[in-house]
Amino acid sequence: MTKHTPANQDSFTSSAGRQLLAFGAASIAGVIVLMMALSWASSLTSTGSISTDAVDVTNNTLTLFLREEPPQLNSSLSTDTVSGSVLGHVMEGLLRYDEHNRLAPGIAERWEINEDGALFHLRPDARWSDGKSLTAHDFVFAWQVALDPKTASEYSFILYPVKNAEAINKGELPLSDIGARAIDDRTLEVTFERPIAYFDKLVAFSTYYPIRQDFYESTDGSYGSDAHTLLYNGPFVISRWVHGANLLMEKNPEYWDLDRAKVDKLDFAYITSDASATLNLFKDDKIAYATLQAENLNNAMEQGWDIFRFMDGSVFYIEFNHRPERPTRNLNLRKAMLYAQDSAELVFKVTKLPGYLPGVSLFPVWLQGVNTFFRQEYPAPRAQLNLEKARYHLELAKQELGVEEIPPLVLLTGDNPISNIQSEYYQQIFSKNLGLDLKIDKQIFKQRLAKMLSGDFDLVLAGWGPDYDDPLTFADLFASFNLNNRGRYENPEFDKWVRVAQSSQDVQERMDAFGEIQQILFDDVVIIPNYERGITYVTHPQMRGMVRRAVGPDPDFTNAYIVE
Amino acid sequence: MAESTTPAPGSPDQFTPLHSEREIHALTRPSLSYWQDAWVRLKSNTRALISLYLVLGLLAFTVIGPMIWTVDPSAQDVDQVSRPPGADRAARVVEPYKPWDGSVAVVDGERLQLADTPTNQAVRLIWPAAPGAESYWIYRNILPVDENSAKGLPLIELFGNGTTHFEDRLDLAPRIYYYTLVALDGTGVPVHRETLAVDVKRVVTVEEAVGRGLADSAEDLLVSDVVHLALHPLGTDYLGRDMLARLMHGARVSLFIGIFAPLLYVLVGVIYGSAAGFVGGQTDQAMMRFADFVVALPFLLFMILFKIAFGIGPGESGVMPMLVAMVVLLWPSTSRLVRGQILQIREEGYISASRLLGARAGYLILRHMIPNTMGVILVTVTFAIPSAIFTEAFLSFIGMGVAPPTPSWGSMCNDGIKTMLTTPHELIFPALLISITVLAFNLLGDGMRDALDARMRSTE
Repeated sequence: MTKHTPANQDSFTSSAGRQLLAFGAASIAGVIVLMMALSWASSLTSTGSISTDAVDVTNNTLTLFLREEPPQLNSSLSTDTVSGSVLGHVMEGLLRYDEHNRLAPGIAERWEINEDGALFHLRPDARWSDGKSLTAHDFVFAWQVALDPKTASEYSFILYPVKNAEAINKGELPLSDIGARAIDDRTLEVTFERPIAYFDKLVAFSTYYPIRQDFYESTDGSYGSDAHTLLYNGPFVISRWVHGANLLMEKNPEYWDLDRAKVDKLDFAYITSDASATLNLFKDDKIAYATLQAENLNNAMEQGWDIFRFMDGSVFYIEFNHRPERPTRNLNLRKAMLYAQDSAELVFKVTKLPGYLPGVSLFPVWLQGVNTFFRQEYPAPRAQLNLEKARYHLELAKQELGVEEIPPLVLLTGDNPISNIQSEYYQQIFSKNLGLDLKIDKQIFKQRLAKMLSGDFDLVLAGWGPDYDDPLTFADLFASFNLNNRGRYENPEFDKWVRVAQSSQDVQERMDAFGEIQQILFDDVVIIPNYERGITYVTHPQMRGMVRRAVGPDPDFTNAYIVE
Repeated sequence: MAESTTPAPGSPDQFTPLHSEREIHALTRPSLSYWQDAWVRLKSNTRALISLYLVLGLLAFTVIGPMIWTVDPSAQDVDQVSRPPGADRAARVVEPYKPWDGSVAVVDGERLQLADTPTNQAVRLIWPAAPGAESYWIYRNILPVDENSAKGLPLIELFGNGTTHFEDRLDLAPRIYYYTLVALDGTGVPVHRETLAVDVKRVVTVEEAVGRGLADSAEDLLVSDVVHLALHPLGTDYLGRDMLARLMHGARVSLFIGIFAPLLYVLVGVIYGSAAGFVGGQTDQAMMRFADFVVALPFLLFMILFKIAFGIGPGESGVMPMLVAMVVLLWPSTSRLVRGQILQIREEGYISASRLLGARAGYLILRHMIPNTMGVILVTVTFAIPSAIFTEAFLSFIGMGVAPPTPSWGSMCNDGIKTMLTTPHELIFPALLISITVLAFNLLGDGMRDALDARMRSTE
């Protein structure tokens, strides 16, 4: 018996080993089968995006990303830059911006503007994406939709230069009284409320885009909510829109200038605002451009990428709440804060992105003046960091407010990396230099706007991007009648100069008015300018012709093309 | 018949009594109480002992640390932003920064050159106007640049041929930079390109040096003296705040929540569970169903509700609602455990004996039942502490916890993760501390469970 034992043991262990091996093999095979099945299943659910390269030469396709799901593609309601960028590819107004950022003829092939009104001659070959002709009536209808009080468009004010527009928007006049008339299908006549010097710049804006009445009414209120509830007249059409996931644009065969779009498809295959995610996608050759954050700059240089920079035209500033119950209504307190900070330190040491300029004025450097840039003709008054002066004003403020200590101030801010750093920087700066206690109120964009509107803040980190290429797009921000004046700053003198700039036809007189406005903004410390934003980005070396612009749709891939 | 001298078997002469060995039965060690024995066994467990020292070290780090390292955790040192530990701190004292209009003392006018000594305050470049140039671009790279390689960061675009100088102030570090000048003609075609290597030196102005406490008074400092910037042993974060000070202050929040919340909710759980277990019957059923109900309540939602109910405004710390939410919602697991133990002990013989002798409920619970469940309770506490620290870190990570500028380990991780690839120390240090703390408490709990288990009492 005993001599069999080792053999028995051997056979026992080897059989156990075999079992283990078989089990292991079976489980690995099972996992592989499962993974293949899952991968197959996922390929069924994903609606395409087969191309793996960011730049697909054979299919003439560019793969890109959107910063967020376009919130509103109904051009009469749209307010944000992502929607503006998408609409810029698929729609076209009377005029548009070309690849050199100059105004160019769009649907209108000729136009005349004088003091009383304008006459636009539409192209005979302008068509909608369903093949029907685009007429002057479509513009009149679109503007009526935007002005209709029931539509409640936030951008209706941009149509106010059109006669009776403001009254219609307030419900005082019927829609048919609008000062825009289709003389025939090809001719649009616009009457002005008052003389306006920049109407050609306005009509390139998305609120002025055409909408066709029969299609708009057939969508039953869902116009622009999906790819098939939108009618296109631009160089591209949206052929697929998976909400929150991706968006595909294809060349519009009905567009009047077929040579304009160089690529066949623009595949916005990713919708993400995560900077490191987009950078990784770019690294993996999944998207053709990506935006850089300060912490990625060295990495980008080490990768040897070509880095680009562009000023997106927007200005960022601390806006004060000027409502009577707020301590920030006190001019000396605002002055104290102005002299206690240095926007150059913020830009060069804290945000650290090339392309950011230290904030000096509400008017950014790129605005045109009479002959050259506005800021060269009207240098902005500067406040140097001066702690003695700041503390002197703080003492005055305490006396005027009748308090020992300034109560804690609420600093309303957005929820993004730059705002986070900026708000913590200012919290510390004002605490160290003035002994002020700032409470940071971090909110998402929508909530921040709601709080700004209701005045639930003392200071807010705000910004403004231009709607059209004229200093007035910034200058009227703090007029008492502007709804975007969230801090409720009121100054009759300021309003007077805004009225001058709005109605004057004389360039010199208008620029002088903007100069006065710039001086009032500084004297009254309506805002503390922080920076003018620049964007640093990298693009695929085979992609050319991407257009960035401060005014108008940005980024614009209409003219982008692929080199081999 | 031979007479034998050998004694007969069985006679008493053959037996000699052994000497007495009374000492064998003597006790070889003093009697040990339950706690003494537990301590002895904990001491023999090396892992648990090391963990215990780590926990004590952490407490010292939190309580005594800020007394020794008295740096303000919210003070921003903008000269040393995102600086890793052990970076060079020497800086030369210079005149205050003055804006520059592009004028320069000596120009040799041939190529791209420096107009002034390059410092981390500003690098001033000047170049001759290139014929046919309509605009200039200035690039900066950290790697050497040749004709074909990428030029680096585009710093500025200067329009017109009039401006032939540029001042770079953007986040300059003491290192070598490669500046490239590209001149473009009216159509955007490059007409000229050249690169200049610039060795940037760190400087500090007298005012900054005094303001940051690097020198006692302005009189002590002369231009071109060398001072050392403030010491940051563990580096600085994205706003130049001292990491060590922030870790110490962050530990306060983390350990406060980590220790107080479990203590409180375990106490609630013990009272609730022992009451339910002791009374038993219908009451027990009802109380335990209520506990089940509490388990089903979503923690995060209640955390937000408490934050609103407490009137915690923007910019105020969410630590108190977090504590309340934890106490209100996390006690049921302890109460279940204790109830089970009490139900078991209730039926033991000594309880019946005590009852027969006339002991009242309070006495039975306090004298017999709680001490017998002590092991379970202590172990629950030590395991609850790391999970509470994790919860705090998680909530601060998603922005529900402390308000800036108060640091906590979780919020520091959240800040650090954004710059994980470029300045990893901002993430590694708080993450390491969370890991060590949680591991130490877990191992200590493990050791305590073994040590407090009465059935594993030392028998040797």
